[in-house]
Amino acid sequence: MIQRSDMPGHLAVRQLVKRYPNGVLASDGVSFDVPAGEVHAVVGENGAGKSTVMKMIYGLEAPDAGEVVLDGRPCRFKSPADAIAAGIGLVPQHLQLVSSLTVAENIVLGAEPVRGVLRRFDRQRAEALTRELARQHGLEADATAIVAELSVGQQQRVEILKALHRGARVLLLDEPTALLSPQEADELFRSLRGMVDRGLTVVLITHKLSEVREVSDRFTVMRAGRVVGGGRSRDHTQAQLAELIVGRGIETASAPRVDARGREPLVQVRGLGVVRARGRAELQGISLDIAAGEILGIAGVEGNGQNRLADVLSGLVAPSVGSVSIGGAPLTGRGVRHARELGVGCVPEDRLYSGVALGLSVAENSAAIDYHRPPASHGGVLDVGFIRQRARALMSSHEVHCRDEQVGMVTLSGGNMQKVVLGRELQAQPRFLIASQPTRGVDIGAAQGLRRSLVALRDAGAAVLLISADLDEISALADRVAVLYEGRLVAHFAGRVSPRTLGLYMTGLACEPGTRATLDAPFTRAPVEATA
Amino acid sequence: MSRAASGRFRTLAMVLLVLALAWALIAMVSHEPLHAFRLLLTGALPELRWSPELGFSVRRMARFGAVIEETITLSLLGLAVLFGFRARQFSMGADGQFFLGALAAALASTWVAPLPGLSLMLAAIAAVAAGFMWGLLAGVLKARFGANEIVTTLMLNVVAIQLYRLVITLWFNDPSANMIVSPLVPDGAALTPWLARTHITAFVLSLPLAAALTWWLLNRTTTGFEIRAVGDSPAFAAQVGMPVRRAIALSMALGGAFAGLAGLHVSNALLKRLPVDLNPGIGFEGLVIALMARNDPAAVPLAALLYACLKAGAQAMERASDVPRELVLVLQACIVLLVVSERLLPTFARRGKA
Repeated sequence: MIQRSDMPGHLAVRQLVKRYPNGVLASDGVSFDVPAGEVHAVVGENGAGKSTVMKMIYGLEAPDAGEVVLDGRPCRFKSPADAIAAGIGLVPQHLQLVSSLTVAENIVLGAEPVRGVLRRFDRQRAEALTRELARQHGLEADATAIVAELSVGQQQRVEILKALHRGARVLLLDEPTALLSPQEADELFRSLRGMVDRGLTVVLITHKLSEVREVSDRFTVMRAGRVVGGGRSRDHTQAQLAELIVGRGIETASAPRVDARGREPLVQVRGLGVVRARGRAELQGISLDIAAGEILGIAGVEGNGQNRLADVLSGLVAPSVGSVSIGGAPLTGRGVRHARELGVGCVPEDRLYSGVALGLSVAENSAAIDYHRPPASHGGVLDVGFIRQRARALMSSHEVHCRDEQVGMVTLSGGNMQKVVLGRELQAQPRFLIASQPTRGVDIGAAQGLRRSLVALRDAGAAVLLISADLDEISALADRVAVLYEGRLVAHFAGRVSPRTLGLYMTGLACEPGTRATLDAPFTRAPVEATA
Repeated sequence: MSRAASGRFRTLAMVLLVLALAWALIAMVSHEPLHAFRLLLTGALPELRWSPELGFSVRRMARFGAVIEETITLSLLGLAVLFGFRARQFSMGADGQFFLGALAAALASTWVAPLPGLSLMLAAIAAVAAGFMWGLLAGVLKARFGANEIVTTLMLNVVAIQLYRLVITLWFNDPSANMIVSPLVPDGAALTPWLARTHITAFVLSLPLAAALTWWLLNRTTTGFEIRAVGDSPAFAAQVGMPVRRAIALSMALGGAFAGLAGLHVSNALLKRLPVDLNPGIGFEGLVIALMARNDPAAVPLAALLYACLKAGAQAMERASDVPRELVLVLQACIVLLVVSERLLPTFARRGKA
């Protein structure tokens, strides 16, 4: 390998150290090299320090020690503005576009072309610039489209173009595929490869192993703030990568499947519809069954009605039409507590929004669903001793890592929070558990544990509805899979369906109108070309 | 350093900042700034004197008594506001609840046959119930109809205060008095002072007791748990099946009960008879106390004491130096401003993931 450190776009970090005020050593002497014109993947579990390193490169955090070296020159970025000026661009995980503006307006925002003495915004030039930029980098984008009307994948392209418009030679991408379907992810990777061929440097943060091998030239593995490995991506198998990331071998085998067809359904959903603001249907004609001891997976790109389905089934929202029953008893429209009394448990999709109360303690969070009755309380007075002791038991059985049960929930990492949430729901021994995105943003080690708990719950005879955007998770766990697209069920499969096939239905490329996911309903026959 | 401890440290720093600001302002307007500043700091305290003829004697006991009395009232009102705050309800209704509590206490004391102890008990129940119901009204309006609690409580304050004036002017006054006041609270219902020349009564016990009761209600009862959960994250509370609306309504009603107690204190311990022109606005000082105490019940009595001392000191300064009263009002406003704008000081416990 020839020395390319003098080529433009060569990024290196040297011995970066960052200790947060709460004492967490997020980055402990991290060093790696990204030669110009390569895709470099930074992988690791959540909390491994990837985001911290990214923030230091982008000028969002100042390192306590060490330096970022760009084109052989050490840089001290005081803010992202400095980093942008030096040629570094960031595509954040949660896209930060102005949704009411056009693509061109978003791309030039902050560096707008102007005309005349009044320095008025030059829309024509903005659009021309956008088209030129898109052509140069082989990224399709309609300059005049309103961002709100674009798909997540298209919006992400706008973010990339925005960074390129500001002269980025090094592009940082933070978990870029988190919200994409497999097809969209493939397309993104193709564009990234095209861009590096033209000399751009790409740093990709991810915790998906397959992406490391699919798109990157080299990789760096981080664990607990340190670099624990790295190398050329081609030379490592997925299993070797996984071992590097978690520091132990992980099981790749999925759970044995249950064929519940022909059994009595425990949960019956018939003709469910929810109409919301401005008469838009959020869910339409949903019919599905879940038998006791079965996992039904709901696949779909986010925002296609999954949240609403979980809200209705957990009792939070009353449906406009249709019925839901559990063991023959009607479930909907009588509130969450009624549903919970019938044996419904729920792991909500957005942990930080509704899964936990960040300002309350771990013990209080773990008691939030049954605090109102014995043994957690008597006559309206909490039995704090019992609640704390049970929380300690939950922490040890679910391997929640924190100082003790009285610390604030806010001090826990995402994975530990989710363990508390799932532990709380399992503690109530639900007959029916709705698990929405149960392992989102959770590291691989913790995700394994959470998935094992779901399978154990199924094997104990509960019905499980698994709503997930992670298709690997759906195909690893679900006994049957239904696909939700724009509020309707569009496909129904037996378990172990390939992510590619699901992707076709999730993105609306294929559709089976009138699909029912009941126990007696036929399975969808996938188009032949998709099964390859 | 724990978050609570760093929070207290910040509040202390704020107090010091207020005093520094006070010094600067006084130095600008006064010809005798040292004297004025000393009055501000010590004006609230009693003075210990020694003379060969009389031996030790304590002066200004009445003024110190007034400070303690004010501390009690402010502390109860601070707790009243705190309840709503903990459920994330910005209830401004302490004033109205306080007026109705005072009126209910006076009415109950006068109408019920004066049995020592019992009539006081009834007065207390009436005051607490009046405050509770008035708070509940605003709470139900919010929880049931989504009416903004800031607007409803402000309006309900107007209603309550005018109702108070109406009742005292038309039906419940003492014709023998040469101004419009309610009849004197009978001895059986009135609290007797514990300390000569002051109105410090058994109510002084409410300083620790009411704060402890508030802490217990919030931290040890299911209702308090619901209030805190709703205040921390309404979406979370709804998701786990808590009765969110009931918690919102009860937070305001429970706060009202404490404001009612403050009314009882003024009616049956301090004034013994209620003037028609009782000054509105003290409920809003409860807001300042709750903010100073950072919604921690244990810190409320201390915050109230500090605030009452500063207020009394400011009045002493106004009387005995050339510093005008307006400056005192400016200072009080500055306290609120500084306490509320926490971010002026560097944060010590910044979250890891900024």
